[in-house]
Amino acid sequence: MSNPFLTATAVPGHGIIHLALLPPSTPRLKTTSYQYPLKLISPAPVRTENEPYHLVHTVYLLTYGGGLVAGDTIDLTVILEPTTRLILLTQGSTKLFKSPGPHVLSKQCTTMNVAPDSALCYLPDPVQPFEHSCFEQSQTYNITMPSADRQRTGSLCVLDWVCNGRQANGENWSFYRYGSRNEIYLTLPEGKRKLLLRDNVLLDQSDAHGSIVSRMHDLAVFGTLILFGPLFHSLGQLFMAEFKALPRIGGRKWDSGSESEDDEVDAAIVRRAGRHREESAHGVLC
Amino acid sequence: MTATPSPSLHALLLLSDSALPLGSFAFSSGLESFLAHNKTRHSTSSSKTRAFETFLEHSLANVASTALPYVLAAYHDDPTLDRLEELDNDFDASTPCTVARRASTTQGRALLAIWERALSTSVSPSPDSQAAAKVLSAFATASKTSKPDVYGLQINAHFPPLFGLTCRALALSEAETAYLFLLNHAKALLSAGVRASVLGPYQSQAVLASARLQECIKTCIKLQDGRQVEDASVTAPVMDLWMGRHELLYSRIFNS
Repeated sequence: MSNPFLTATAVPGHGIIHLALLPPSTPRLKTTSYQYPLKLISPAPVRTENEPYHLVHTVYLLTYGGGLVAGDTIDLTVILEPTTRLILLTQGSTKLFKSPGPHVLSKQCTTMNVAPDSALCYLPDPVQPFEHSCFEQSQTYNITMPSADRQRTGSLCVLDWVCNGRQANGENWSFYRYGSRNEIYLTLPEGKRKLLLRDNVLLDQSDAHGSIVSRMHDLAVFGTLILFGPLFHSLGQLFMAEFKALPRIGGRKWDSGSESEDDEVDAAIVRRAGRHREESAHGVLC
Repeated sequence: MTATPSPSLHALLLLSDSALPLGSFAFSSGLESFLAHNKTRHSTSSSKTRAFETFLEHSLANVASTALPYVLAAYHDDPTLDRLEELDNDFDASTPCTVARRASTTQGRALLAIWERALSTSVSPSPDSQAAAKVLSAFATASKTSKPDVYGLQINAHFPPLFGLTCRALALSEAETAYLFLLNHAKALLSAGVRASVLGPYQSQAVLASARLQECIKTCIKLQDGRQVEDASVTAPVMDLWMGRHELLYSRIFNS
């Protein structure tokens, strides 16, 4: 039985989100505990139209002041029980305020356990490192392999992105250090695990290979989108198809002007063509 | 008669030879794609050369931070088949870019083939090298009959860990191994640069011989000194972007 009282050994920045399953099929937020500077807000769960059997919980991750001051440490644990659905969001970019020196690091460490048939959608706003900030974060996802044949693995949709700072103030990748690590482990019920994905980016001003700006080649934002599991399979397929359909670099468009003749273009193609035009007009990667 | 050269010299020359049939020269590590993306920006040949030199340094730094820890871990960890398979899997997990993954496994498999057909007969007699050789041969056999394990993952035969263990089997020193690995990468890039007509063959040799390149390689090695494979990281994220988008080039001279 869980203790209804606040434990006295609370550690700053620690948080736990435990989405439990009330048999037979009602998910319930069993625990949402947090300590300054972390704050968690959970609105009432909703049902979606295409999956009416599943109650989807949402939790907002907040930090006081909208970001992390040098030396802040956040340690969040998320536990999803089988068949539960959780969306984690933020209410704006996570600001990283300046640090007195490269030796004072702020950290964010998140561990998420994803049970079979459950799904996690973690779509935060971008991290915004200010000038002279110093930050490292690590996200570890443990995906439990299904033991019974009827079960499917959990699903994961995770975005991790960072921008170049406050552009209006002339900041352009001008922090001391930014590190972000995403790891996905497949775990067996008996505790053994194997690494499926490690995406570890480290940008440090003191690495002697020129400034970070020169290494970013005019990019203003950089991110990783991770899609895993049966629930996001079709979304993953969509992305792969869109990448395949990107215009060839240095190719000639011999069939220009054919759009008006062809009446049977479907909506997806029109949308894609519009996006390509917009991308080339704004000079995205070309 | 002068003193005989160190026993590892022969192996060092073999592994640094561009005639070693690894197929490294079929790949441009994103160079071709980088040039295609920056065509308008670098129109004159001198600005092209400067852009190439920056690319070379960033690419070396990125290869050092992502792959070198795996080379060295395979080199100095106790050689066992389990450890090599673990390094192989973890490197695969840490290389999200499909083009980079294909380039790495192609060269890894080529190295295994060279190992089985040529190098395995000339292993140094020290027990250290013998143990490494045994694991390499076992891995080569296992990679041919690889079945998905309980997690659904297979042996990939990535290049960096296999290169590290090969160097150990041929009794190269750790410093030689690290330097050789990065120099070979620089050579492959320079050769790609010549074929993509960014710089001429003499210019390319000049870069290769320059103190600047030597300094760059040494700095890269020093920065990675003592870094565990768990902390191997991408330090120039755009490299993955160039490499991945190589597939989108309308015409290309390198594999992707």
